[in-house]
Formats: sequence, structure tokens, C-alpha cells
Amino acid sequence: MSAVAQHQAPGRRRRSPLPYTWQRGYLLASPALLVMLAILVYPLGYSFIMSFFRWDLSGSAPFIGTGNYSDELFGRQFNQALRNQTIFSVVSITIEVVAGMAIAVLVNGKLRGMRLARTLLLVPPMIAPAVVGLNFRWLFNTQYGLVDALLRMFNLPDIPWLNHPAWALVSVIVADVWQNTPLMVLLFLAGLQSLPQEPLEAATVDGATPWQRFWHIVLPLMRPVIMIALMLRIIDTFRTFDVVWLMTQGGPGGATNLLTVYSYLLAFQAVDFGHAAAVSYIALGMSLFVLGLLYGVPWLIAKRRAI
Amino acid sequence: MSGNLSRRKFLAASAAVTAGSIAAPWIARAQTNEITALLITGGPLYPKYWEKIVQDFTAKTGIKVRYDLLEFTPLTAKVVTLSAARSSQYDVYSTHTAQIDSYFNHFAPLNSYFSDSELAEFYPVAVKYLRDPKTGNLAAIPRNMDARVQYYRSDIYQEKGLKPAETWEELVDVGLKLTGNGHYGLVVPGQGDPAQRTFSDLLWQAGGDWVDQANKPAFNSEAGIRALTFYRDLIQKHKIVPSDAVGYQWNENSTEFSSGTVYANFDWPGAFATLSNPETSRIVGKWSTAPYVRDKAAISCAISHAMALNGQSGRKEAAVEFIKYTVGADAQRLQFEQFTNFPSSQAIAKEVIAAAKGPQATWLRQLETTIANGKEWPKLAGFSKVCTLMFSAIEQALSDQVSPADSLNQAATEAEEIMRRAGAYD
Repeated sequence: MSAVAQHQAPGRRRRSPLPYTWQRGYLLASPALLVMLAILVYPLGYSFIMSFFRWDLSGSAPFIGTGNYSDELFGRQFNQALRNQTIFSVVSITIEVVAGMAIAVLVNGKLRGMRLARTLLLVPPMIAPAVVGLNFRWLFNTQYGLVDALLRMFNLPDIPWLNHPAWALVSVIVADVWQNTPLMVLLFLAGLQSLPQEPLEAATVDGATPWQRFWHIVLPLMRPVIMIALMLRIIDTFRTFDVVWLMTQGGPGGATNLLTVYSYLLAFQAVDFGHAAAVSYIALGMSLFVLGLLYGVPWLIAKRRAI
Repeated sequence: MSGNLSRRKFLAASAAVTAGSIAAPWIARAQTNEITALLITGGPLYPKYWEKIVQDFTAKTGIKVRYDLLEFTPLTAKVVTLSAARSSQYDVYSTHTAQIDSYFNHFAPLNSYFSDSELAEFYPVAVKYLRDPKTGNLAAIPRNMDARVQYYRSDIYQEKGLKPAETWEELVDVGLKLTGNGHYGLVVPGQGDPAQRTFSDLLWQAGGDWVDQANKPAFNSEAGIRALTFYRDLIQKHKIVPSDAVGYQWNENSTEFSSGTVYANFDWPGAFATLSNPETSRIVGKWSTAPYVRDKAAISCAISHAMALNGQSGRKEAAVEFIKYTVGADAQRLQFEQFTNFPSSQAIAKEVIAAAKGPQATWLRQLETTIANGKEWPKLAGFSKVCTLMFSAIEQALSDQVSPADSLNQAATEAEEIMRRAGAYD
């Protein structure tokens, strides 16, 4: 830039809608923004467009509007995956939140060994989901697995953990709960330790039982933390893949097909990218809808009360 | 020249560095006589095998080959992704007949690179199912045959006075006599592509087929229902197969047999080498082979691992030279020596059979019969998607979620719609 141009710059800056420092900021951030656009926004947009085409490897890719979406929404396999996803998400999140809160209250106490317990709680979330999937696959193996071996020790019948449709879904939920409950514990523990002590002390002086203190004081104060935990888990369960893939590959007969697994099978086994993209966007829409309900309903209730 | 770096110079230099970094691999490749390949692996011997093949090829032709190795499932996923992206990253792919119809528009036809007499060297069943039935284009060239025979525990059979099963009924009878005390008479896969192949075998043996003369689904015929019912009953009724087999694929099956838990298995040619190796088998010297079982017919899958040329490749001539080398006589002999992979070339197969002795010679003749009677599912438009539908349908029947008849009827209705949409009837 010439010296003259540099002297003229302040005049031009006045006409710009953005201050000069902002312009410079955007310029400096532009490489990172471009990378973000290239690796995040572009694939998202591309796959969204793909969901409106019959996109396989046949060479032609005709536009079919919402055909892929309607095929899936009325399709047997998608509805099976949707049912599995709903059961998986509701059951695992419920168990993780309830058990997570109970364990957090327990380890928040001043009992012996709680420091060690808190450290051990870090282990499951630190293990890669693929490793968890493989471990549980062997634990639940009917012939060689530890779980059925223990059942046999007590003269109990074998349970076909991964071979029976209902038990297979239970098995993947157990694996998910094992890995993610400690994360809930850690979140709730952080929340519990930051609660103000005055209301609890006042309630104790007034003769409230521990349960009454928990139900009427701790739980309402913990609501923001619980909401964050729920949000994280809802997002997470809608993108669960590794554990299920390694334990059952969505089987037997689609009994543990979650939306992500079903989408993967469509893309990489059926080589049908249009339907796979449509399933992914339906899953995304559903998780956004559930999150909207989670945050929207309390907000609406609060607003109506205010009126 | 001023020592100050202006904003314009900084941006220009950044753009030049980025462009240079992106273009560097292509420039480097353009300047050397080099091709790239995505090749299959599986087990510790494969990397050494490919290293030798590539070294020998380079020594002979001067063409360098840069290659990556992947096992079958990730390899398939990667080829799907690269084909969808119309990538030219690899000139050559390892592939398989199982999903070949998906790639008819992405692999360059090999017809013009192989003369009729060269193609006649290969087993006809392999070449037939690598062709696009609409255009006649050859999508890939077979590298080795993937057919199965019966592997059984000769020591246990002898001890109990049993002979390997020849028919479906005998398979159940023998299995019942062997099952107990933590051991099973048989293992079959129950998940994914291996389950579909097993169902195919039984379907053909029962006298059925995948499609009728008009290419409409026919696997839900009486023969198909009988085949799936028999398959399910092996696990659920007769219980001669471990219940976990519902989730088993090839590796689990092979491990059940090689660990000594199961006394019979239908496995591919590579199993002969694995079972003979003390590092990978606990039953070395305790097993033998027999022909695949039969019912109304003695038919089973005879498919092949193959080599394909990427349609996007900019070095097709050099890539085809490599492909020809990998399916050539030396490479096929080496494959057999190292992994007992059955050659796709009829002449080399005859050569190894003639040189073999004892049980190995018997086994090779059994395999040759399987291949001569072998078939594969049709390569019609949309059939890859039908296959994934079948994975689920077969698994549902095997795990007793629905009856074989309901499962196949439902799948047949959906399969026809899938093929119609894909243009199989246009």
C-alpha cells in the first residue's frame, strides 16, 4: 500500500460499516475461518444437498426432492432404528442422570475412601469407546464371557446378551451407562460443591430430613447443571456409534441399529449416500427438537408465570 | 528492497506456500514414474507379500508403486468414499466381487487391456460376476478364488466313528453327536455378508435362486424358505452351532474351529494355511477337509478377490501393468505358497494341484469342484442395497425375531422396489 493510500485510509474507514480494528481482526482470522468453512460448513452443506438426490455410485444423481426423507420416514428399517434410538437415549440418559446424581451425593460426603472413588470415576470416560465396545462384546459373550460365567457359578441360566434382540439392546445400554455415568457424577459433583451452604444449614436447623434437603433445596439449585448434563448426553446419544458397532454392528437383525449405525450401513454397505444423508439430517433435526423442548418448555412456563 | 513485510506480501506468500503444499504431491508424482495402490491385507504375511510383489514389479518395469494396506471392511469403506469423491488418490484398488456392481461406473473397464485368450485363462465364474451385465464391461480382474470346503476334526470324528457330512440331514445328525460338554458340532456365521453368503449356498442347494427369469426377487420361494429355516434351525432348534454365532462373521468362525471348541466349519482356502500354522491354530494335524454339503444340488458361492483400475486414474497404462503383474503367474504362485490362496488362473491352479500331495491335493481337488459348480448372486442394479437388506432379514430369522417366511417375503417386496428404483428393470 502506498503512502498516499495509507493517508487516505482513515477517510475510507469512516465510510466502512466496521471499525478498522474489526476489519483487521477479520482479516487475521480469515485463514482460520476459511479452514472452518472448508472442513465444517462445506461438508455439512454438501451432505444436506446430497440428501435431496438419488446419490449412489451409479453415475447419475437425479434430484428427487424430499424422496429420500419420505422413503426413510415410512421405511421399516428406519422406524426400527428410530425406535431403538428412542429407547436407547431415554433409558440410558435416565439411568445415567439418576445414578450419576446418587453417586455424586455419595462421593460428595466425607466418608472414607471417597477421594479414591472420585479418582476411579475418571477411568471409564477416559477409555476410548471402541475399547469399551470390544470389552463388553467379550464380557457378554455367552460361551466365553465373564457375565454368563458368573451366572453359571450361581446355577443361573445363560443370558443370550448379544444374540437376543431385547437383550442386545440392554447390553449396549449397559455399556453406554458404564462409560458415561461417571461423567455425570463428575459434573454433578462440581455442581454440588459449588452450592451455597446457607440454605442447607438453615434447613438443617429447621429440622429438615436429608431427603427433604435434597429434594427441596439441592435439586432445584442443581437444575442448571442437570440441564447441561442432559443437553450433553442427548447430543451424545444421537451420535453414539463406536460402542454399538463393535458390540453388535446393529444386530441381531437391526435390533440395536441406532440412527448413526443405520446411516453408516446405508452409506458404506448399501452405497446409498442420498438416503444415508437424509437419515443423518433427520437425526440432527430430532436432537435439535428434543433440545428445543428441553430448553423451550421451561422458558415458556416461566414466561407464562411472569405474565 | 524494504525489510518490512507488508500485509499484501504476507498474504501473497501465504497463498503461494499453501498452493505449493497442495500441489507438491502431484508435482512429485508427475515427475516420477510412480503409481499408487490401495491393497488388501489380513494377517501378518500380507505386508511381506505385497512388499515382494511391488519390489519385483519395480525391478522388472521401473514403475514405482506407492501403496497402502487395509483389511477388507475398512478397505471397502475407503473405496466407497474415494469413488464417491471421484478421487484419483489411488490408481489401483484391491476389490472383491461382493459389491462390485456399486463400482461399475467408477472402475475403468479392463476389457481393452486383456485379450479374450488372456481372460479365458481365468475361472469363468470369476470373470462372469466381475462384468457389468448391462454393458459387458469388466470392472476388475480376479486375483484369487474365494470358495469354501468343509474343515472338520478328523481326530474327533475318528474317535466317535463318524464321517464328514455330505447332506443337510447328515450335517444335523453328525452335529448332534458331536455337540456337548462345551463343544459344538458346527459353526456357521450369522451376521452381515458372511450370513448372506451362507444363505446363498443353502438357497442354491435347496434348488432356489436369488432372482427369476425376469430378474424379480425369487429368494422367498419355497426353496428359499426351506433354506433359511434349515439355517435357523442349526442354531435355534438343533443347537449344534453356538448361539453366539448369530453375531459371528468369518474371523469368529475360524477362531472357534482353530481353538478346538467347534468340530466342523465351512471356510475359505486361506484357512488351510492358518490351520496348519501352530502360531494360529491349536489343532495342527488334527483336522481334514471334505466337500461342502449338498441338498438337491451341490452349489455354493465361488467368488473372487480382484484388482481394479480407478476410472479417475491419470496413469492407466502403468496401473494396468501393475494389475497384470498381480494376477500373473508368479504372483499367483507366490500367493498359494504363502497363504494357500487358490489361484484365479486355471493353468496355475492345475499346476499347484499337480504338484500337491496327500491331504493338500485332496483339498485342492475339492476346492476345484466347488469352484466348477460355484455361483454368485446377480450383479443387477441396486443389488448391493438388496444385500444389506438381506443381512438384516437373515439375521432377524436366525435370531428368531420373525419366521423365515415372513422375513423373506418382506425382504422380497422391499428388494423389488429397490431394484426398480435403481433401474434394474429399465
